[in-house]
Amino acid sequence: MTETEKFSIPIGPQHPALKEPEHFVFSVDGEMVTSASVRLGYAHRGIEKSTENRNWAQNLYLLERICGICSHTHALTYCLGVEKLAGVEIPPRANAIRTLVAEMERVHSHLLWLGVAAHEAGFDTLFMYSWRDRETIMDLLEQLTGNRVNYSANVLGGVKFDVDEELAGAILDGLDYLEKRTYHYLDVVTTDAAFLQRTRGVGVMSAERAERLGVVGPTARASSVARDVRIDAPYAGYDEYVPNLIGHTTGDLEARFEVRIKELFESYRLIREILATIPEGELTSRMPRRIKANEAFSRVEAPRGEVFYYLRSNGSDKPDRIKVRTPTLCNMASVLTLVIGQQLADIPMILVGVDPCFSCNDRMVAINRGGRSEEVWTWERLRQYGIDYYGGSH
Amino acid sequence: MRFGTMFSDIVSSLLRRPITELYPVERRATPDRLRGQLHWDWEACTGCSLCAKECPAQAVDLIVIDKKAKQFAMRYHTDRCIYCAQCVVNCRFGCLEMSSDEWELASANKDPFTVYYGDEANVEAALADRAD
Ligand code: SF4
Ligand code: SF4
Repeated sequence: MTETEKFSIPIGPQHPALKEPEHFVFSVDGEMVTSASVRLGYAHRGIEKSTENRNWAQNLYLLERICGICSHTHALTYCLGVEKLAGVEIPPRANAIRTLVAEMERVHSHLLWLGVAAHEAGFDTLFMYSWRDRETIMDLLEQLTGNRVNYSANVLGGVKFDVDEELAGAILDGLDYLEKRTYHYLDVVTTDAAFLQRTRGVGVMSAERAERLGVVGPTARASSVARDVRIDAPYAGYDEYVPNLIGHTTGDLEARFEVRIKELFESYRLIREILATIPEGELTSRMPRRIKANEAFSRVEAPRGEVFYYLRSNGSDKPDRIKVRTPTLCNMASVLTLVIGQQLADIPMILVGVDPCFSCNDRMVAINRGGRSEEVWTWERLRQYGIDYYGGSH
Repeated sequence: MRFGTMFSDIVSSLLRRPITELYPVERRATPDRLRGQLHWDWEACTGCSLCAKECPAQAVDLIVIDKKAKQFAMRYHTDRCIYCAQCVVNCRFGCLEMSSDEWELASANKDPFTVYYGDEANVEAALADRAD
């Protein structure tokens, strides 16, 4: 009797399907995956700790840079939290503009994902064309905010800029084009025979499993879990501009494609609605520089799912503690269970199916050196460690 | 189920020139709101230094030459600036503005990244102070 040995395949941290660092170990039996584990934390940047050394306004820009794709989401979640802490109401027009940018960001993010996912499936034609069309929304974001990424649309207490007739017209024209293209892409991902072989029936997640693993965003909605912060706990302008929940029942990769593409139509509808009915008024409210001791949390539906912030103030002009949780962390467990029983070649597609963003989810690393000693490093010590590590060249 | 669902896209692209631009030969006009290099109008400045206090990148230093006579200079680091416009929002006197066409700021050496603003005498004073 021979015992079959477990064969483990390490993937990453260099380029594990995506250009972001993460380490996976898959055990395989022939071509079939039998177990999976992940090691997170390669892109940990110490952002949460750094917030404690910056004032409230400075932190806005630091946190905006947690993610380059959904930067507005992070800035928005932070602003909502800080405004809650300080008890500041922001003007309705500012709320509408925040919502407008959030939906435009969702459009660019979903189109970006469509391209990446198509690329993982080996369908580079779809990748190239979807990214060409994505430039439309990138240009509009640049015209509206002044930047393609890290728009810097928010300030504490409101927004920086207004939207005028001319811009609204440009956005509407862009949307008409994008809507036409999106119908085409929906048709491609639901009918292309070669593509469907990579998506239909692959990585199926039941609603029950999605609930149990706490999956969020379009990944959850594709498994008939009705979960969308914009609807469940409206923030910014979403009580005025209500999105329809886009769900799917099959829970496979095809469903995740369909959900995200159909969400694009919802975003187009919301953007048009906002532009047609945007309330008049101020763009900012007055914000205090210091915030009395208090705590608050805020939640926002990022393109990938729920982003959660916890904030605590202590009466100074700097936060006492900020905790961030991004959707990829919630969805990672689903990847590890979904790949089991699938072909090795399907791993990249299943991973990409949750629209992962590794760098955003890397928060803190606990290094267990054996023994039980726990150490807390001060910011100064961490900084010095970094300088010494790189040979003190700065 | 069909095959070649994107075939029509490919065929129509055969007859079109590439969508990419030949930068730097071709330059697209930048949008008016683009945030490029910061500019400072020293005549209106009151020296409140709110711009420097909330700059997330420590990219602006307000140098006080003579507080009573409201004489100031500004040192601006284009390489540190993250072009967020928080300083522009903070200035209640409208002294700060970001250029929409000065955005090609790369350089092979470090000198052009430090820019001094202010009237000639004040900039000289600021520079002299630095040389000490
Ligand atoms: S915020 Fe304006 S007025 Fe105040 S120091 Fe800066 S430039 Fe001068
Ligand atoms: S644009 Fe932002 S980073 Fe640049 S100087 Fe102003 S506040 Fe600082």
